[in-house]
Amino acid sequence: MKRVTLKKVIVISSLLTLLLLLIVLFSLTVGSVKIKPQQTITIFLHSLMELGEKARDAEEMIILSLRLPRVLLAGLVGAGLSMAGVIFQVLLRNPLADPYILGVSSGSAVGTILAILLGLSTASFGLPVASFTGALLTIGIVFYFGRQNGKIHPNTLLLAGVVTGSFLSAVILFLLSLSQKEELHTILFWLMGDFSFSNFISFRIIFPYILFGFIFLYSRSRHYNLLLLGEEGAIQMGLSVERLKLLSYLSASLITAASVSVCGLIGFVGLIVPHGARTLFGADHRLLLPSSALIGASFLILSDTLARTLLAPVELPVGVITAAFGGPFFIYLLRRRKGVKTL
Amino acid sequence: MRSHSHPFRCYKKPWVLYLLGLLLLLLSWREMASPSSIFIDEVGRKVTFPGPPKRIISLAPNITEILFALGMDEAIVGVTLNCNYPEKAKEKVAVGSYIRVDFERILSLKPDLVIATGAGNTRDMVNRLERLGIPTYVIFPKKFDDVLQSILHLGQLLRREEKALSIIQEMKERKQKVIEKTKSLPRPRVFLQIGESPMVTVGKGSFADDLIRLAGGENIAGEERQMYPRFGREEVLRRSPEVIIISTMNPKGDYDRMISEWNRWKTIYAVKQGRIHLIHSDLIDRPSPRMIDGLEEMARLIHQGPLLRPPEKESK
Repeated sequence: MKRVTLKKVIVISSLLTLLLLLIVLFSLTVGSVKIKPQQTITIFLHSLMELGEKARDAEEMIILSLRLPRVLLAGLVGAGLSMAGVIFQVLLRNPLADPYILGVSSGSAVGTILAILLGLSTASFGLPVASFTGALLTIGIVFYFGRQNGKIHPNTLLLAGVVTGSFLSAVILFLLSLSQKEELHTILFWLMGDFSFSNFISFRIIFPYILFGFIFLYSRSRHYNLLLLGEEGAIQMGLSVERLKLLSYLSASLITAASVSVCGLIGFVGLIVPHGARTLFGADHRLLLPSSALIGASFLILSDTLARTLLAPVELPVGVITAAFGGPFFIYLLRRRKGVKTL
Repeated sequence: MRSHSHPFRCYKKPWVLYLLGLLLLLLSWREMASPSSIFIDEVGRKVTFPGPPKRIISLAPNITEILFALGMDEAIVGVTLNCNYPEKAKEKVAVGSYIRVDFERILSLKPDLVIATGAGNTRDMVNRLERLGIPTYVIFPKKFDDVLQSILHLGQLLRREEKALSIIQEMKERKQKVIEKTKSLPRPRVFLQIGESPMVTVGKGSFADDLIRLAGGENIAGEERQMYPRFGREEVLRRSPEVIIISTMNPKGDYDRMISEWNRWKTIYAVKQGRIHLIHSDLIDRPSPRMIDGLEEMARLIHQGPLLRPPEKESK
């Protein structure tokens, strides 16, 4: 593996940030209503200059009130799920791990479906709060049962998570069989991942989780490199492995819970983006974490843009796009870079 | 205002009263000058919009039908993909399906009024339209008679009250006729099938349940608390309905096969008597002016009397 220097991290991150900005701009200009790129840029610059609310025309509202919050939220969630994916993969030392593998998704799904069935979805914060609560409870349960003698063993944690997840899946199916037509629609869209009701409030809610989550995980990136070489070795190097695993598990789970609570279950991002970034830039977490976050953001924004434009005015679930386009692209990456050591 | 004037003791200073009066006059004059209308919709929301609406978007098929019946053809600028009646509705711009709309398209149509329904459209949709500053009126009929109310409300909203009243009058008369004709007849037990797999019927609180009752029938699932309960064939066998009516929800559905499937269960009274019928689903699940057609059709099917020949396929 080539040496990763700070310079290399900065250069690659800057390039990926540039790509992300281009994708954001592109996503703001396309949609079911055609708005010229120049007009988009003018509207965008105008809104940056004057922050006051005033009477706005349709184009301005489409870009600033519909597309912008959506693009920003998709970016945050994409970054969050990808980072969480990186951490779960190294933590469980399992290439199949993704942010949902330990049941967080099923937990938040149960919370959300219960809220929908109890009619809490009419309150504006009903669903995110219920979803987040469900996820937190699941994290707690999995953590409680996943430890042995106060230590986290990857396989025990994995089994506890998977079993809890399948138990909760049964609960989900049970609740689904009880629900009526209209509730079913809401539930299904949530289970497939849905950005159509994004707003700035949800953006503000999850922003701290993603930001502080990233700062924490990035500050531990050297430790993850050691962990990758084997737990024994890491302990001998003076690393308090148990503490690291505990904190990483909690922060990656929190990032996942926050992301899922605002947009439902978007699959695939947290699995393939980390692998994609690893094949492109290597397994050094100092580079892997920021590049995964940036690629994840770009990837999910692009997927969501496709989801809302391909069959407009009918909107596709974003999960369909992430899997349909992400899967083949990932296979291509795998085949091209056969020699590179993955996880 | 009055409660405020007391502590200030303005009765001692008549000019204060004059000023207040002048202010009130000014305020009310401004109210009168701006032609904005304020309505309370059927879920208790306040809806304000300037002048008579000229660009209306309908978010459900039944609303579209009501709007066309009220003669608002010109003012409708957007409908949903599910709006298939009248034919002219298909020429309007579709803003998505009624469970999921494309807000970009709605904004770009620059509507001055959006009409939504509490049954079908979600609360989130309405909240979002509100936040985007688009006046949104929600109707929420739950029974046959509520539909008349909703037609009247939309008539008042769109300054088509007379037209609305005449539609309502006709619907009421036809409904009365159905009730009178079926009053003296026995009330057959009816099973209305609205879905094949899983088999779904209509329970308490649904429109179709109300229609069955008004048409002089007894819904075998009428006491179920769920609005659209799932029924196994066994349950239908046990309750042995005298009439089975299949709603043609799915245009691609194979209804011949569904009828022959029922025909295997000779213990069911309806099957023995050859009383399996089809009904066009749009007539019984859309709270629109056409619901009266649905009611008449339902009454006809329920009270047809026992048939000796195998059930014929109803062509609608």
